[in-house]
Amino acid sequence: MELIEKQLNNGINLYIDTTDKFKTVTINLYIHNQLGKEATKYALLPAVLKRGTSSIKTYKEMVKFLENLYGTTMAVSVYKKGERHLQQYRLELPQEEYIKENILEEGVKFLKELVFNPLTEGNAFNKDYVLQEKEIHKNLIDSRINDKTKYAVDRCYEEMCKGEPFAIFELGKSEDLEVIDEKNLYHYYQNCINTLPIDIYVVGNVDPRYVEEVFTKYFSFQRGQILNIPSPNIYKEVKEVKYVTENLEVTQGKLTLGFRTNVPANSEEYFPLLVYSGVLGGGPFSKLFMNVREKASLAYYAYSRLERFKGLMVVSCGIEIENYNKALDIILKQLKEIEEGNISDYELDSTIKALKTSLNAMKDNATSKSDYYLSQKIAGADLNIEEFIKKVEKVTKEDVVEVAKKVKLDTVYFMTGKKEE
Amino acid sequence: MQQLYNGRIDEKILLQELDNGLKVYIMPKRGYTKQFAIFATHFGSNDSKFIAPGDTNVTEVPDGVAHFLEHKMFEEEEGSIFEQFSKLGASANAYTNFTTTAYLFASTENFYENLKLLVKFVQNPYFTDENVEKEKGIIAQEIRMYQDDPNWKVYFNALEALYHVHPVRKDIAGTIESISQINKEILYKCYYTFYHPENMVLFAVGDIDIDKTLDIIKENMRQDKKQGKIKRIYPKEPLSVYKKEVVQDMQVSIPLFNLGFKDTDVGFGGKKLLKKNLEIQIGLEMALGRSSDLYERLYNEGLIDSTFSFDYGGEIDYGYSIIGGQSKDPFKVRDIILNAINNLQFLKEEDFERIKKKYIGKFLRTFNSVDSIAYSFINFYMKEINLLDYLDVLYSISFEDVRERFQNHLREENSVLSVVNPIKK
Repeated sequence: MELIEKQLNNGINLYIDTTDKFKTVTINLYIHNQLGKEATKYALLPAVLKRGTSSIKTYKEMVKFLENLYGTTMAVSVYKKGERHLQQYRLELPQEEYIKENILEEGVKFLKELVFNPLTEGNAFNKDYVLQEKEIHKNLIDSRINDKTKYAVDRCYEEMCKGEPFAIFELGKSEDLEVIDEKNLYHYYQNCINTLPIDIYVVGNVDPRYVEEVFTKYFSFQRGQILNIPSPNIYKEVKEVKYVTENLEVTQGKLTLGFRTNVPANSEEYFPLLVYSGVLGGGPFSKLFMNVREKASLAYYAYSRLERFKGLMVVSCGIEIENYNKALDIILKQLKEIEEGNISDYELDSTIKALKTSLNAMKDNATSKSDYYLSQKIAGADLNIEEFIKKVEKVTKEDVVEVAKKVKLDTVYFMTGKKEE
Repeated sequence: MQQLYNGRIDEKILLQELDNGLKVYIMPKRGYTKQFAIFATHFGSNDSKFIAPGDTNVTEVPDGVAHFLEHKMFEEEEGSIFEQFSKLGASANAYTNFTTTAYLFASTENFYENLKLLVKFVQNPYFTDENVEKEKGIIAQEIRMYQDDPNWKVYFNALEALYHVHPVRKDIAGTIESISQINKEILYKCYYTFYHPENMVLFAVGDIDIDKTLDIIKENMRQDKKQGKIKRIYPKEPLSVYKKEVVQDMQVSIPLFNLGFKDTDVGFGGKKLLKKNLEIQIGLEMALGRSSDLYERLYNEGLIDSTFSFDYGGEIDYGYSIIGGQSKDPFKVRDIILNAINNLQFLKEEDFERIKKKYIGKFLRTFNSVDSIAYSFINFYMKEINLLDYLDVLYSISFEDVRERFQNHLREENSVLSVVNPIKK
């Protein structure tokens, strides 16, 4: 189950994972960028590209084309891993033997056109498309407040990383949209496709030589000097814990704590850190679940999660507003317990087993697998899933206690109701 | 064992009904790393009024009992069931919806031990005054979380508008008020009524041994006698909708809407229900899908965005379509859609075969993951549908079937509009 790697001579890397367990072939194309000033433009691009290519000029025709390929699905998205801004273009094509047609080549050709041959007018994108997508993009940025659970976590990180690139929202800022037009966006786009690193992952029951041949046929165009994206700075000394309260029209309070882990993504200490976060809040065996939820009945959900690439950790839970102090005390006590070595064998073993199960389960999902490979690459690590599991299994209680000392609370964010006026 | 096989997709499922009435389905999936088992009872939030087998009087329980019971099943005298699954490296979970409560685990090793644990714990209720009281705080926070979720609210407000009395209009978890009335006696009554093997189903999928799986289940199941039918009492729901519009203000940036259509051709399950489900879904896709004229128009006019979606949910005794998303003008979206529907201008035969192809691909994708196979299987099972019949039924549908079904279902008088507006300053 080794990943086959091919260079396409222009800074595009093709990775092929052959497996016969799926009924579809999944292709994920990722474009990497530095998260920065141009984030809004970068985030808007996939939406504009999706509107039409030079040969399939409208979104409607594009969808019809894909429906005819037995409902091949197309998904585009924008997100961040640390201070790396990623665009993802995904196609999932039914496997030849179930539909009695070879549609892989058509899919690859379409993917190339989608990303590299957009509909243009002169030296610009289609004006209407850009105008419409700008308005929709603005709505999407503004509507982040609708999902209170995600919003609370995002806001905590934003407050915590103020002034650092990581604080930039993955969709950008609505103010930036005003100056974007079909010309400057197209100019920016050309720069992107010429210089940004691109990785393509193909997972499915395919002949790797055939896949390589098809991609070589469509993806051999020239590109410029490829941008080198540096690793983000993960170290920041916390002088004083920051407390932030945001008042919204809500009935449940969301208590969110942001931490600096001071552990780089490719470090050996990342594995103990992963176990540390698991013992703290990685499942029903964890300290947060047992103490915040089961013992104190304060919350329905209480978890911790790592942001590997920026060296951060977040703890989040939804509580009655008046239970703020109670919940905060219990959470901080759990951190202290771990630091003092009060970790039971059950907590440690269950965490390691749960991590192992979820890592193994990635093998059954084509996009999870692609994402795993991508994350490894971004972290600057080169472990396959088995090797990764071995590292996790080796983690001892002492390792966890050691890494716990590095984790520092930075920001406490509380989403609460509006005060009666 | 009885074998269900479909040659089009080369998949088979084995079925055995045990003496106590439990139906066991086992699906081998060679090469998969993950195993998945789900043990479900036909007991959901809709079942709050019933006559238990052997009883003569009607039992009525507070809203949210099925969900509350689901939470409490994970606790036993010896401690938490999660703990035991964790020790075996499996991830266990459960869910409750309108018709079903299901307990499940995913594992990559120790499958048979995990299966044994699943079978045993679901048969072993342990409710005390103290542990029931403790759960109320946790579930109250779950209810609050949903109350603050505008997508959830806009959806349930639509259901409340569609139905006069049917329990589907009520929140699955109940309310903070209704769960405060729940006690251990109520939980035991529901448990012994609905968690009888005869009312349950077990589905296991993965690279597993069929005989060994079946043996584990048999060895660990209670040898109950069949108890007979549970009489579920649903109030008589009028054909009309309850309210045409419902509007609520919440902390959102742009209005959210759900346009709902009440299905009045109900009361059957099986292939007929599957056919209806597919007819409506294909019709919706033809009319409003990403490749439709209507979608293009609404999108280009800035009235909808990529959050726009639609679905039909058809159960045996009720069904509804929901078309939703965010929009600066939900009322205009509704008017445009209703107008298009009245003119029947959008169902074109040329689109039909293409959309059908899309559904073939969609179905094939289900078989990529053991989780989605298991969830789909149980979901269909509760509607008396065999998952493997899907493609055959899909192929049998004609354009005329879709058109006729669509005209009957998507009628203006059957529609309601639910809107969540931003709070005005």
